[in-house]
Parts: sequence; structure tokens; C-alpha cells
Amino acid sequence: MIKAEDIIKSYGNGESRFQVLKGISLDIEDNDFVVILGASGSGKSTFLNIISGLERPDSGKVFYDGKDITALSDNEVTSFRKENVGFIFQQYYLLPNMSVDQNVKMGADLADNKDYKTIIEAVGLGEKLHKYPSELSGGEQQRVSIARALAKRPKVLFLDEPTGALDEQTGRQILDYICKLQKEYDFTIILVTHNLNIAKMADTVIKMNSGKISEIYTNETKKTAYEIGW
Amino acid sequence: MLVGIKNASKLTGISIIACCAVLICTMFVNFYFDVRLIENEITSELSMIFYHAQVSTVKVVCLVSGGCMLLTAVVMLLFYIKHYIDTHKKELGILKALGYSNLKIAKSFWVFGISAFIGTAIGYAGAFLIMPRFYALQNEDKLLPEIAINFHPSILFYFVLLPTVCFSALSVCYAWYKLKKPVLLLLKDHLQTAAKTPHHRIEKNRELPFVEDLKRNTLKSKKALVFFIIFASFCFSAMTQMSFSMKDLSSEMMGVMMLVIGLVLAFTTLFLAITTVISGNTKTIAMMRVFGYSQKECCRAILGGYRPMSYIGFVIGTGYQYGLLRLMVDIVFKDFEDVPVYKFDVPVMLVSLVCFITIYEILMYVYSEKIKKISVKEIMIE
Repeated sequence: MIKAEDIIKSYGNGESRFQVLKGISLDIEDNDFVVILGASGSGKSTFLNIISGLERPDSGKVFYDGKDITALSDNEVTSFRKENVGFIFQQYYLLPNMSVDQNVKMGADLADNKDYKTIIEAVGLGEKLHKYPSELSGGEQQRVSIARALAKRPKVLFLDEPTGALDEQTGRQILDYICKLQKEYDFTIILVTHNLNIAKMADTVIKMNSGKISEIYTNETKKTAYEIGW
Repeated sequence: MLVGIKNASKLTGISIIACCAVLICTMFVNFYFDVRLIENEITSELSMIFYHAQVSTVKVVCLVSGGCMLLTAVVMLLFYIKHYIDTHKKELGILKALGYSNLKIAKSFWVFGISAFIGTAIGYAGAFLIMPRFYALQNEDKLLPEIAINFHPSILFYFVLLPTVCFSALSVCYAWYKLKKPVLLLLKDHLQTAAKTPHHRIEKNRELPFVEDLKRNTLKSKKALVFFIIFASFCFSAMTQMSFSMKDLSSEMMGVMMLVIGLVLAFTTLFLAITTVISGNTKTIAMMRVFGYSQKECCRAILGGYRPMSYIGFVIGTGYQYGLLRLMVDIVFKDFEDVPVYKFDVPVMLVSLVCFITIYEILMYVYSEKIKKISVKEIMIE
């Protein structure tokens, strides 16, 4: 279980100092599919960075199963990320000089996962093991980044606008893959987006506005990637 | 101007190498011209043998040292231009899309020749400052008549003006050649072709851990950097060993000069190469940190591959200095009776090796701390 307590974060100095997060507290259950919804500048990505251990808050705490990750040293946080979390970004950030196989191995080696090729198969790229990112379409590149994140067997998967750079059809396909893989591998999903429709796929929706949580609700009936609007 | 003086100022490595090359060559060639003026005044046979030895030394030193440094400076210039085009491909792509021709953009690369001018001019001036002492030491035993220092305009032309013009022209031509790419290829990152490993190699590498795989890839993706790392350790090895080994064959001043030049070249090249390696892999390092790779693993993947290369450079440098000194003793000083027997100096080599390992490992530690400071948020900055 993830617990955030009164997270405050500001950027800049002096008069240009701007408070991005104004005391956010929430609980996230294991294996939940959470969507953090908000407009640009609402602080959703900053919050994602903090609860994933990429960034430290000015004040407040983040607990994973009772362990406060904001109190850990840099090396300990790195080790925490290694053992617990996976990331998928809007821009994929694949290593350009490495093949699909090598990119996925980046995640797999951290969990000593020798069976990572089944994940490449699961995202439909079994035939493209030796292709380079420059030889793949945007959707295929995002699927590689999904495989890379899942190959390290994360307990929590963080996704920052994963369909932001994709067309509708590819975007739906990617979301469908993520949902199917969650069922197969059991992990918590925390997805940040500004797309209201994607929120209909989640168990829990957290709406953010101007650095605060404005609303939290659960979806009674979840929709699939192919049932939502775009 | 599309490429400004500010961009050219980053080519300090070329300036330093050019400075060292011109400093040495100007001193020796100026001496060569001046010593030839007194050839008719030499009467004794011993003096004539000494004269010929001096002339041969000049030729060997200028050809070997000057040639080696010229080649390095040219490789460094080409590497910088390619690096500049790679890192500014979007801006250059926009200019091409707007209708600028390849030649018009390439013309602005002439400013890179300024780095050669700065280096050669400083080297030339520096040579004239040291020259009185150098002339005195070359004729310490007074075997030759008094040698006066004269100004030879041809040296200024060949060692300062010509390199500047050639480096500027080379910059324009190479930039023009590298810019001959479709606009879309420059504008879009994902259309860039990666340095590909043949499929049979991928099969072979498949069992390698990711960090080892990345280490190999980092080495392969920028071959010029491998050259610079080898060159840096080569300079360190050759110059430090030579400066101590040749104390019986030459003056103390020559030894100190060689040591200083060797260290300057080695550190400049190593600094530039490793800085480029890290800046070129910032996103990879940041991504590794995001995923949970430790600082040690990041260093091993990005910098570890260069360690064997640096030792190869050291071995080549050791062989080079031995070969060069052997050549000088066997050919240049062959007619001299009192030339000391030259043997490979093992203690000097060992001391040099220990110093090299210590300095290299300290530098790697400093850079690993730099890697530690790369923010994981670097990945989100586009």
C-alpha cells in the first residue's frame, strides 16, 4: 500500500517561487488502477515524480508498506526504485543504439529476469527483437518501453501520459496491453493524464487542480480501452 | 553568422594541440634554418658530424611529433564538427527547410579555423620566447660557431597562416559533406539511424548482461573518442618515459619541455574525451538511474569500456618512445663516439605506469561523482 502524507513541493526562488503541490495526502491500495487526472500545470506529474521516488518533496512523507522513502539516502532510493517501481513515459526514452531485446534487458537484468522474452512476445514484438528504436513506429516504441518496465517485475507501474504522443488507434492498443498485463502480472498502476476518457478505465480516479486534490472517486463499472471515447 | 565565435571557443583542445605542435616545430625548424646559415663556417670533422646530427634530429622530431599532433588536431576538428552537427541537427534542419543551401550553412563553419589560429599563434610566439635558451643548449659544447636567431617569414606562413586557412577550409568542406542529409532526417530524432550491430553479433551478445552490452555499445557508437583516449594515454606514456630516458642523450630543458607537453596533451585530450562521453550519454545515465541502476553500474557501462583502451595507448606509447630513441641513437648519432648506450628503462616505465594508473583512476572517480550528480529528472528535459 502507498500512503502520501501532506506533500508540499515548490520550485524557484524568492519572488518567483511557486508552490506546485499544496499538501497532498492519499492512500493507494495494492493492485489498484489509479488515474491522476488534471490539466496542464495542476501538479500531477510532480506528484507522480515524488511518489515514485524520482524527486523529493519539500515536506511530507511517502510510505510504501509502512516504509518512508523520503527518509532514504540517494543510494537507498535508487535501490528502492530498482526493487519496486517501473516507469513508462510519454516520449518512450528508449536507448537509440540498442535493439528491442537489449532495451528490454535493461529492465530484466535488474530483477534477474531470464524469462523477459515472454513479455516482448506479450506486447506483440516477438518478431522485432533485433530491430532498433529508429526502425519502429511510435506505438511499437511505446510497447518496448512497456516491456522494459514490466521486465523488471515492478510492484508499482508509473505512467506519465503514456498515450500522449500516439494516435487514437495506437493509444487504445497500448492501454489495452497495459490492462491485460496488469491482470497477468499483478501490479499497481498509477497513470497520469489530462484525458478524461482514460479515467473511465481506472478503479480509482484522483482529480488534481492547482496543486491540490479536488476529487477522488471510484468507478463502479470500468470500461475497456476500446469502449472509452478519445 | 550561423556558427559563432562562441561555438569555436569550445575547440580549446585543438588550440592546445596546435600550440604544442607549432611550439616544437617552430623551435626546431628555426634552428634548422639558422644552423644551415653557418654550415660554411664549420671547419672540424667533429663539428660537421655534430652539425649533421642536429639537422637529422630536427627532421625526426618535426616529422614524428609535428605529424602526430597534426593528425590528432585534424581528427579532433572533424569530430567536433560532426558532434556540433549532431547536437544542432534540428536548428540546421530548420535552416535547410527555410531554404538555406548546404554551402551557405557550411560556410559559417570557417570560424572553427580560429581555434587553430589561436593555438598556432601562441605556439609560434612561445617558441621565440624559449628560443635563446634552446639555441644555447643545442650548442652547449660550443662545437658549432655562434648561431644567431633569425626571423624566417616562411615559418610564420607554414606554421601559423597556412594551418589556419587549411583548418577553416577543412571545416567548411567537412560541414558541407555532413550536411548533405535530407531535411527530415535532421529534423526528426527518430529517423536517425542508430549505430547498428549486425544480427549475428546480436545473437552472440544476447547472453551478455545489459551493463556489458551497453559498455560495448558506448565504445562502438563514438569511435573517435576511443582514438582520443588512446592518444591521451599514448602521450602520457611516451612523453613521460622519453623525458626521463633521454636525459643522457639530450639536455634537461628538452626533458622538462617534453614532460610538460606530454602532460598538457594527455590531460586536455582525456578531459575533452570523457566530458564528451558523459554529455553524450546523459539521458542514458538518467534513464539507468530512473530504473534503479547504481552509480557504480552507470560508471561501468559508460566509462568502463575506455579503461582497456587507455592501457593499450600506454603500451603503444611505451613502444613508440623506445623506437624513437633507438632510431635517434642508431641513425642520428651513429657517427658519434661518446653516445651513451641506450637501453629500455624498466624502472622509468614502471614509475610512469603507476603514475598513469593513479591519475587515471582519480579522474574516473571525479567523473563518477559527476555522474552521481546527473539528476534523474534529466530524462524529462527535452
